[in-house]
Amino acid sequence: MRKPPSPQDLVPLTPPVFHILLALAGEERHGYGIMQDVARQTNDALLLGPGTLYGCLKRMLAAGMVEESDVRPDPALDDERRRYYRMTPLGRRVVRAEAQRLADAVAAAKACRLFDRPKAGVTGGD
Amino acid sequence: MPQSALMRWFCRVYLVMLYAYPRDFRAQFGGEMQQLFRDRCRQLTRTPGHWRWLRFALHSAADWISTTLQERIAAVRATTLPECGRKALQVARTVWSVGRRTQPRGFVAEWAMTLIVFLFATTTLVQAYVVPTGSMEGTLLVGDHMLVDRVTYSDPGSWGARLLPYREVARGDIVAFHYPEDVRQTYVKRVIGIPGDRIHLENKQVVRNGLRLREPYTQHIDPLIDAYRDDFPQAPQFNTTPRGRDMLAHHVRDGEAIVPPGMLFVMGDNRENSADSRYWGFVPRAYVVGKPLLVYWSYDAPTADLETWTLGHVADVMEHFFTKTRWRRMLLVPRSRQAEVAP
Repeated sequence: MRKPPSPQDLVPLTPPVFHILLALAGEERHGYGIMQDVARQTNDALLLGPGTLYGCLKRMLAAGMVEESDVRPDPALDDERRRYYRMTPLGRRVVRAEAQRLADAVAAAKACRLFDRPKAGVTGGD
Repeated sequence: MPQSALMRWFCRVYLVMLYAYPRDFRAQFGGEMQQLFRDRCRQLTRTPGHWRWLRFALHSAADWISTTLQERIAAVRATTLPECGRKALQVARTVWSVGRRTQPRGFVAEWAMTLIVFLFATTTLVQAYVVPTGSMEGTLLVGDHMLVDRVTYSDPGSWGARLLPYREVARGDIVAFHYPEDVRQTYVKRVIGIPGDRIHLENKQVVRNGLRLREPYTQHIDPLIDAYRDDFPQAPQFNTTPRGRDMLAHHVRDGEAIVPPGMLFVMGDNRENSADSRYWGFVPRAYVVGKPLLVYWSYDAPTADLETWTLGHVADVMEHFFTKTRWRRMLLVPRSRQAEVAP
């Protein structure tokens, strides 16, 4: 049942998984931090509910894309129930592959002249 | 309602809703999910805007419905399944993934989904029930309106058992069941004995299989000793029912009632004011309706008013809704509790 992890097996990603990886690309975050960052990336278009967020995290942990971090960066705001997550090297490869796939798709759309006017705010974040 | 109260209420509801997730998932992420939910509530109290609480509630409900289903299916997939089950799941997954969209569902679809789930839930999964007597006082009060979970104790067969949170009735569980002497009535009591258990009472203390129990959930209101009630099954009384007399005649050996296969011995927590298995015998396992899930409304009213809604009761509720509702009991979860063995 378990496949050897290869980025190509794991793409395409669902939008929540992709944005969670983007949120973790820069730094380790806890659940609420991820949720806020995803909302920021997508201009509040994608609000992750607790079930969606932790369902995704569960699968991403199982696939080895993220791991739990033992670091508790902010002791003042902390509470022992918060856990921080960080991206693994595999996760980085996967998100890169996905971003590349999306970039190719956008390039294909451009080739079909679907972008008459360049539009700001295409989801995909920073 | 002030915002902090609303927020507390939301968090309490969410805590109950978390129980819909599979046990493992809840154990791993339950605390964090609660924390995240609370964080979002806090954030909401700081942001302006009309309808934001309602939008938040709808969004959370949609998230809950889709992810509980998803996690339950995932939990089934993780366990080993017979071949036919695997096939059926493959089909279900295909259907699911075809229907899955990356865009959020429209308003109508969202509500239709909610309604379907709600209707399904209220007819097959839960049942509303009101506590009419004080026999469980200490744990449940007269006028507690509760939802009874019909799933947990209903044997769904070997396949469904993996999908649903089924488990066998255990000692210490609170159960709702059809009263054996009149199946139109539903009673709520605590399970003291399961098949094979030997039960007797000594001076109000339950002795099960030779071990004295210390039961933290009981309430004793009468200091006097009634030979039958408090030293069951000594000194049989006349106020037993036919089933009770049958129990005394056929299932008592050496001063102990022995629970036969497929039966349960139940007692109320309010021991001195409870008509229970001591008086009317065992409850057949098949008569168990379910497990009290939560108290959704607790209203201080006499027993007769709770059994049928009369005009007088409607008027009473309209007039005294806010004062006679026991707000502290709202959304209370009656829990199973194990008795300890007394030294």
